[in-house]
Amino acid sequence: MDIRELQGYASFFMTIFLVVMLYGYIIYLYRSEKKGEKDYEKLGNIAIDDEIDSTPVNTSDSVSSEKKEQNK
Amino acid sequence: MQSNAALEYDYSVAKLFTITAILFGFVGMLIGTLIAAQLAFPELNYLLGEYGTFSRLRPLHTNVVIYGFTVSGVFATFYYLAQRVLKVSMAESKFIMFIGKLQFVLYMILAVSMVVTLLLGITANKEYAQMEWPLDLLTVVVWVLWGVAMFGLIGMRREKALYISMWYFIACFLGVAMLYLFNNMEVPTALVAGVGSMMHSVSMYAGTNDALVQWWWGHNAVAFVFTVPIIAMIYYFLPKESGQAVYSYKLSLLSFWGLMFVYLWAGSHHLLWSTVPDWMQTMGSVFSVVLILPSWGSAINMLLTMKGEWNQLTENPLIKFMVLASTFYMLSTLEGPIQAIKSVNAIAHFTDWIPGHVHDGVLGWVAFMIMAGIMHMAPRMYKRELYSKKLVEAQFWLQTTAVVLYFTSMWIAGITQGMMWRAVDEYGNLMYSFIDTVTVLHPYYAIRALSGVLYLTGFLMFAYNIYKTATAGRKLENEPQFRTPMA
Amino acid sequence: MFHWLEKNPFLFSVGVFIVIAFAGLIEILPNFAEAARPVVGLKPYTVLELAGKEVYKKDNCIACHSQLIRPFKAETDRYGQYSLSGEYAYDRPFLWGSKRTGPDLHRVGNYRTTDWHENHMWDPTSVVPGSIMPAYKHMFTNKADIETAYAEAVTVKTVFNTPYGDDIKPGREAWEAYKPKVIEEAKKIAADMKNQDVKDAVNRGEVPEIVALIAYLNRLK
Ligand code: HEC
Repeated sequence: MDIRELQGYASFFMTIFLVVMLYGYIIYLYRSEKKGEKDYEKLGNIAIDDEIDSTPVNTSDSVSSEKKEQNK
Repeated sequence: MQSNAALEYDYSVAKLFTITAILFGFVGMLIGTLIAAQLAFPELNYLLGEYGTFSRLRPLHTNVVIYGFTVSGVFATFYYLAQRVLKVSMAESKFIMFIGKLQFVLYMILAVSMVVTLLLGITANKEYAQMEWPLDLLTVVVWVLWGVAMFGLIGMRREKALYISMWYFIACFLGVAMLYLFNNMEVPTALVAGVGSMMHSVSMYAGTNDALVQWWWGHNAVAFVFTVPIIAMIYYFLPKESGQAVYSYKLSLLSFWGLMFVYLWAGSHHLLWSTVPDWMQTMGSVFSVVLILPSWGSAINMLLTMKGEWNQLTENPLIKFMVLASTFYMLSTLEGPIQAIKSVNAIAHFTDWIPGHVHDGVLGWVAFMIMAGIMHMAPRMYKRELYSKKLVEAQFWLQTTAVVLYFTSMWIAGITQGMMWRAVDEYGNLMYSFIDTVTVLHPYYAIRALSGVLYLTGFLMFAYNIYKTATAGRKLENEPQFRTPMA
Repeated sequence: MFHWLEKNPFLFSVGVFIVIAFAGLIEILPNFAEAARPVVGLKPYTVLELAGKEVYKKDNCIACHSQLIRPFKAETDRYGQYSLSGEYAYDRPFLWGSKRTGPDLHRVGNYRTTDWHENHMWDPTSVVPGSIMPAYKHMFTNKADIETAYAEAVTVKTVFNTPYGDDIKPGREAWEAYKPKVIEEAKKIAADMKNQDVKDAVNRGEVPEIVALIAYLNRLK
């Protein structure tokens, strides 16, 4: 197998691999939100509520919805 | 609310880089305007003797606006917003403070040496990588220091999740590091031969290979200096200024990975119809078009962030800057892929359409975003109100006009020239001699020079406004939460 | 599954790095051996030509001139045979350029001569009315750095096996021994020029930038 062929295979499989990963990530994002493990949209508040003494938006992994601060 | 009220964010390094951003912005744009005028009025080439010709000044212009203005802007906003989204203060660690300041000092030394060597004509002559090897080494040091500060702050963070802006800053750091190292591999000749100048080197790669590596760099320098960190800025400053969280955080995460994956493949679109292998050219073309998706993903996300709050657009000039910036980002990320289509590229390549494309990106997107960022930061860093709203408004309209003049004139110039080069008469002979295709461009070059003058004037107003803010703005009791107060 | 990516900045960075490095590895590396092969009969640049290339780089002619003829009829009619990869095998760095404010120069040696360049570099508009190219009068007085050009030849010979003769070798003595050859070459160029100061300088054993530059431009064929 010469280097050209190797190059072709490598690029093909790596591309497939990365595309699968990307789609996997999309599914992961939505699924973990649906299951209630995570709340990604909440992370948007990091930029809005960014005083040094304000409570971190995300200290641990799970969503603790009762602590969720309303800061809009 | 916790009770460590004594602790505050420390903006000393951010302030230093803000000053250099303004300084280099002015110098770079001044030179840019001069060289634009030189193409319309060649007599202007002889103002500074040997050092004032178009060709000597052109790399100075690009390097000063990229590595002086833009990179300073990136560092300034980084040292400002990284603290905030990580919720740690630079004041909490003497070490990181020291690294930040050291980085600034070395950066200044580097920038000044860059200006001097380029004026003297000491150059490696690869576009956007002109610095000779000793300066390259210093660049590496400055960059590593930035990395230390970045990961140091991350290590101390209170906010466990990394905000999307930090993702982009990390990517900027890694991407530039990798590309820069590979592209600047060179052998200093004096060390091998024992004679000749110390400031000279030869590239490790020759010919077509050098071209590939160079445009792999050149293209991705655009990605990792003009796109990635600027997106980092807008993801912070637009929500913060408007009080609206990012429209869809998930979309921002996806666009991030999309951009990372696709951008690197597109580099060979600078080498269409050249001697690089065909499949690579095709790859560059195709991926350039795919690149529209993640780019627009970010831009649309930004525009939608303003959903239901469009009244702010009329009330707050900073929002104007940022919304227009994302619009120009969309424009140039659409225009780029169009130019990467092989048949379009056959006409567009080598013409003024290319600088036209670059400038609706850099003037409309990069510089707008950096200036908006600085105007947002200044009142918070200096604890004073922004000096004049009228000036901001005037600056906005002046510079917007300038950008529009720039790219429209260069579109026409580029397409005219591209068509004239290939025009043939009924017998298949070339219709125009080369000089015909030069003189026809005069009016467009003149318009572009005018647009440079307008933009530069706007930048001066901006610089004055920030200076006045820092020295004479009305003092603020509390840090403003969202909208930047201005008189 | 992707949890680690979001939580751990280090792993995140590794992930980003893999994604961005991948394109480069696949795209660029395999092509290297092939594209570096010179076309048959290609000679390395002489030391004087290298010095001229340095002048070309120093005054950054690349800002306005390309050296890449694309395979279109309109271009081959205007500039000659389209460019081949192997023709650039000794170009470190490559000088294709990205902007044609002026014409392509890859084969300018085929249709322009020493005296044409002399007049043109002194004052372009006197040769081509309406030209917006700057005049490069300082090249007639500044001296080209032939010593560094020699160092470059030694370097590419030592490090990259560029086929130079045995008389190109490291060290000051070797250079002193080689220098007269460069001056000889320069004299041939100067003989076709009319500027007396330039001729005098070459006779004194100096090489004005313009002489080296013209040697380089003549070589572009
Ligand atoms: C501002 C842009 C600009 C720069 C910088 C520039 N040139 Fe030119 N050059 C032109 C233009 C426009 C023409 C066409 C008109 C003419 O022949 O003068 C041209 C023509 C030429 C020609 C004639 C080519 C032909 O086919 O007729 C040569 C040779 C040349 N330039 C060499 C140089 C060299 C060497 C340098 C660097 C020292 C340089 N140029 C820098 C714009 C430029």
